[in-house]
Amino acid sequence: MSRAVRVWRVLLTGLLVIMAIAWLLPAVWVLVTSLKPTENIVRVPPEWIPWPATIGHYGEVLFSSSRTARIGRAFFNSIVVSLGSVAVVVLTSAMAAYPLARMRFRGRDLVFGLLVGSLMVPNAVILVPQYVLVQRLGWLSTYQGLIVPEAAMTFAFGVFLLRQFFLTIPSELEDAARIDGADPWQIFTRIVLPLSQPVLGALAIFAFRSAWNDFLWPLIAVNKPDMFPLPVALALLRGAYAAESYGPIMAGAVLSALPLLIVFLVANRRIVEGVRVSALKG
Amino acid sequence: MSQPTPSVDRRRFLQGAALGATAFALGARSASAQPKPTITYWNGLTGADGKIMDELIDQFTRETGIRMEQQRIVWADLYAKLQVAVPADEGPDLALIHTVEVPHFASDGILEPMADAATGAKGFKGEDYLPSTWQGGMYQGKRYSIPLDVPQHVLYINTKVMKEAGLAGPDGKPKVPGTRDEVLAMAKKITKGDTFGFAIGTTNPGRYTWGFHNLLWQNGANVYAADLKKSGLAEPAAIEVAEFWSSIQNQHKIAPPANANCRDAFIASKLGLWIAGSWNFTGLRDAKVEFVAAPVPRIFKQPVVWTMPHQFTFPKKKAVDAAKRDAAWAHIRWMSDHVAEWTLKAGQVSALRKPHSDSRITGDPVLKTLLGQAGTWQSGQPTPKWVAAENITRPIIENVYIGQRPAAAAMGDLAKQINALPD
Amino acid sequence: MRRGAFTPYLFLAPGLALFAVFRVYPLLEGLWLSFTNARLGRAQQAFVGAANYARLLDDTRFHVSLWNTAYYTVASTVPILAVPLLLAVLLNRGVAMRTFLRGAFFFPFTLSVVTVGLTWLWLLDPVIGPSTYYLRAAGVPVRSWLADPATAMWAIILTTVWWVTGYYLVIYLAGLQDIPRELYEAAAIDGAGGWRSFWSITMPLLRPVFLFVLVTHVIGSFQIFGQVFVLTGGGPGDATRTVVQHLYETAFQNFFHFGSASAMAWVLFVVILVFSLLQFRLLRGHTQY
Repeated sequence: MSRAVRVWRVLLTGLLVIMAIAWLLPAVWVLVTSLKPTENIVRVPPEWIPWPATIGHYGEVLFSSSRTARIGRAFFNSIVVSLGSVAVVVLTSAMAAYPLARMRFRGRDLVFGLLVGSLMVPNAVILVPQYVLVQRLGWLSTYQGLIVPEAAMTFAFGVFLLRQFFLTIPSELEDAARIDGADPWQIFTRIVLPLSQPVLGALAIFAFRSAWNDFLWPLIAVNKPDMFPLPVALALLRGAYAAESYGPIMAGAVLSALPLLIVFLVANRRIVEGVRVSALKG
Repeated sequence: MSQPTPSVDRRRFLQGAALGATAFALGARSASAQPKPTITYWNGLTGADGKIMDELIDQFTRETGIRMEQQRIVWADLYAKLQVAVPADEGPDLALIHTVEVPHFASDGILEPMADAATGAKGFKGEDYLPSTWQGGMYQGKRYSIPLDVPQHVLYINTKVMKEAGLAGPDGKPKVPGTRDEVLAMAKKITKGDTFGFAIGTTNPGRYTWGFHNLLWQNGANVYAADLKKSGLAEPAAIEVAEFWSSIQNQHKIAPPANANCRDAFIASKLGLWIAGSWNFTGLRDAKVEFVAAPVPRIFKQPVVWTMPHQFTFPKKKAVDAAKRDAAWAHIRWMSDHVAEWTLKAGQVSALRKPHSDSRITGDPVLKTLLGQAGTWQSGQPTPKWVAAENITRPIIENVYIGQRPAAAAMGDLAKQINALPD
Repeated sequence: MRRGAFTPYLFLAPGLALFAVFRVYPLLEGLWLSFTNARLGRAQQAFVGAANYARLLDDTRFHVSLWNTAYYTVASTVPILAVPLLLAVLLNRGVAMRTFLRGAFFFPFTLSVVTVGLTWLWLLDPVIGPSTYYLRAAGVPVRSWLADPATAMWAIILTTVWWVTGYYLVIYLAGLQDIPRELYEAAAIDGAGGWRSFWSITMPLLRPVFLFVLVTHVIGSFQIFGQVFVLTGGGPGDATRTVVQHLYETAFQNFFHFGSASAMAWVLFVVILVFSLLQFRLLRGHTQY
C-alpha cells in the first residue's frame, strides 16, 4: 500500500473518530447523568464527570420497592416479546419477499403494492380495531397478544427491505442450482438466505428495536402489571406533571439500550462479514 | 385372577372419603369469613408520589386483608387507556383521576354515579370537605367521585438568587412579593445574564394553561361564561390576562423562553420567583435547593389559587361484583382516614378539613403555606369540553407568550375555536 | 423446472395470513370507521358518509399540520439520506477501528424516542442546556432553538439525524457489501477516482437499496410523531404540529373522535401514496444486473 494512501487512511480514520466521539456526546450525557447523585444533576456549568458517582439510580430502577415497577420482570417480558417478534418477522418476511423478487405470478405487483401501501397508514389509527380484535381472541395481557401484532407491524417493512435486497443478488447462482435440479425451497434456504445474512441482520435489528421500544400498543393491550414490557414500566419513573426524575430515567434509558446494543453487535458481525458475492463466483 | 372387588371397594371408599373431606372443608370454609377480594386500581401517581402510595396500600392490605393490583401510568396515557378499556369492560375496579376529567368521563358513560345513600352510608359527608373539592365530584346533579387531596399552585422563591439580587433581609430570609407590582419590581432586579426573575409553570411556561387559568380566575374571568356554553375568553378581563402573559416575556423581559425547563432553571438557581405546582417541592428538597414557599401572589383582582384535586371514581363495569365494590369503598374510606400520612409524606394537602389542624402538618412551613391558601382554592368548570378547550388553548397562549400574536386577536380566535368545539 | 403453480402462494401464505388478520382487517375497519361518528367510549356509531372528510376541509389545524409534515419530509430528506450514505462509503473503504465507529454512530438508534427527546430537550434548553452554555461561552448569540418557529423544525431534524443515521448506515453498509470489490479495482486500474467510481459503480448498484431508504424515509417522515411531541409538543404555537400528532390528539386526547382520526389517517395515506408513486416513477431504473 503506498504511503500516500496510508496517510490518507490515517487522516480519514482520525476524522471519523472525532466525529464519532462528538456523535456520542449526547449519549455520554445520558450515561453520566445516570451516575450522578440527584443534587448534582441539574447544574450550570454542565459537569461531564460524575464525581461523586452513584449507582443508586440503577438500584432504584432495578430493585425499587414499588409494587408496580418490577423492572426486572418487565425486562424479561421485553426480551421474550422482542425475540419472538424478530423470529416471526424474519421468517415470514423472507418467505414472502422471495417470490415477490424472483417469481412471476398472478397478483404479484398487487400484493407488493398492498404491502408497501400499508406502511403509509399511521399505527395510531389501527390501534383500537386491533385492540378489539386481540380482546376477542382472548389475547390481552399475553405474550402472543404482544408478539403477533408487533410482528404484523414490521412485516410489510421487512418484505419491502428484503425484496429490494433479493433483487440485487445476481441470479446466476440460483439459475445454476435450478439447472442442477434444486427446488425453490432448497434454492431459498441454501443459496438466497445465506447470501442475505447482512440484510437479515439489519432486519433483525429493526424488528427487535421496534418491538423493544413500542409503548403505545403494550400500554393498552396489557392489563396485568406483571406483563408490562420495559417502556411501559420505565414510564413509571417519569414523575407526574412533567417533574422529571432524571437520575432514574437516565438509568432506565441506559439499561433499556443495552440489549439493543448487544443485538447490534451480534448482528453487526453478520452484516460486516456477510458472504461476499464474488467469493462464490468461482 | 386379581381381586377386583376389594380394590374397587377400596377405591370407592377412598373417593367417598375424599369427597366427604372436601365437602366438610368447604362447608367449614363457608362457615367462616369469605376470602377478601383483590381489586384493580389505576392511577397516575408516577415518580416519588407513587412510592408513598405503595407504602400506604401495603399498610391497607395488612390491616384489611384486601389486596390491590395497581396499574400506574402517566396521567395523559392513563386517561387514553381508560377511554379504550372501560367500554371493552377491561377497566379497573377503582381509579384515581383529576377533577377536571370527571365531567367528560361522566358524560361519556365511563364512570358510575355514586348514589347519595351509598356515600352517606360509607360516612362521606359534604361538610367534612372543602367545598371546591367536594363540588368537583359532581356533574349534572350526580356525584361521580370522592376527593382525596389538593395539588395546587404555590410561589417558590430561590433564596440564593434573591440574596444575590439584594432581595433578602439581614436574617437571610428572602422578601416575599404579594402583588403584581412587587413581583415585577423584584423580578426586574433579578433578571440579569442567564438568570430570570419570574416564571409560571414546570416546563414550557409558554403553554402552561394551568397557570393561565390561575391568572384568569384571579381576574374574575374564565374559559367559559357562567352558562358553560359560550367561551368567556374574548372578554376584556381575559384579554388583560393575556396581555400580562405576553408582557413578562416581551415587554418586561423577566421570564425565560417559552420552552425553558423552569423547574431545572430554579434548581440551578437561574430563576428567582416561580409559581408552580405543590407537587414539585419534594423534588426540590431532594435536589437540595434552598427555597421558601409563599402564597401565590395576587397578580390581578382576587388572590385565587388554582387547584386540581385527585378524585376516587368507579369506572363502569358490565357486571358489578358486590364484594369488589365493597372493597373499593373500604379503600377510599381507609385512605380518607389516613390522609394525614399521605400529606406528610407526599406533600399533598387533603381535601378533608380535619387533618388541616394536625400539628405535624401545620409544623411544616411548606404544608402550612399550602393550607393557608385553602380559602381561595378554585378548580376547573364542570363541562365535558374543559379538557378539549384546554388543549386548544395551549398553542394560542404560547403564540402570545413569544410575542407572535397580539393578545386581543389571539383571545378572540381562541374563543371562537372553543365555541366551535363539537359536543 | 420443478416449480409448481402454487409455489409462490405457499411462500407467501404464512406472512400474508399474519398480515391479513392483524393488519388488513384492522386497516379496513379503520376505513369503515372514518365514515362513521365513532367515538372512543361510545358503543354505538352511526354512518355519516363523508362528513368527517368534509370537516377536514375546515380544520385549519389539520391543514397546518399537513403543511408542517410535508415541510419536515422535504427538508429532512437530504440530511437523513446523505449523511449515513457518506459515512457508509467512508467506513466501507477499509478504515481502521470500524467496529467502534459503526457502534458509535449506531448507538443513538438504540435509545427510545422518549429518551432521545428528553436528552435533546435538555441539551438545547435555553437556560441550563449544555449547548446553550457552550455557545454562550463561545460568544454565539443564544437563542431558544425549539421555541422559535423559524428554527424549531431544524432542531427537530438535527435530533432525528443524530438518532437514525446509525440505522440507515447499517442498511447502506449491507448494500455496499454486495458490490463486488473487483468492480472498484477494475475501475481504479482504468484510472477512475473515488468520486467517479462512486457515481458509476456504487450508486447504480445501490439503487434498489437507496430507493428503499428513500421510500421508507418519506413514509416515516410523513408519520413523524414521537420526537416532535417530546421536543416541542407541536409548538411553538402550532409551528411543528404534525399530522399524526393531530390525529393522535383527536383520537386519544381531545375528543376521542375516532371516526375523524381515521379520516385523517386515510387522507395522509393518499398524500403519502402520491409522493411515493412520484418517487418510484422518478427513480425507476434497472434493479437487476
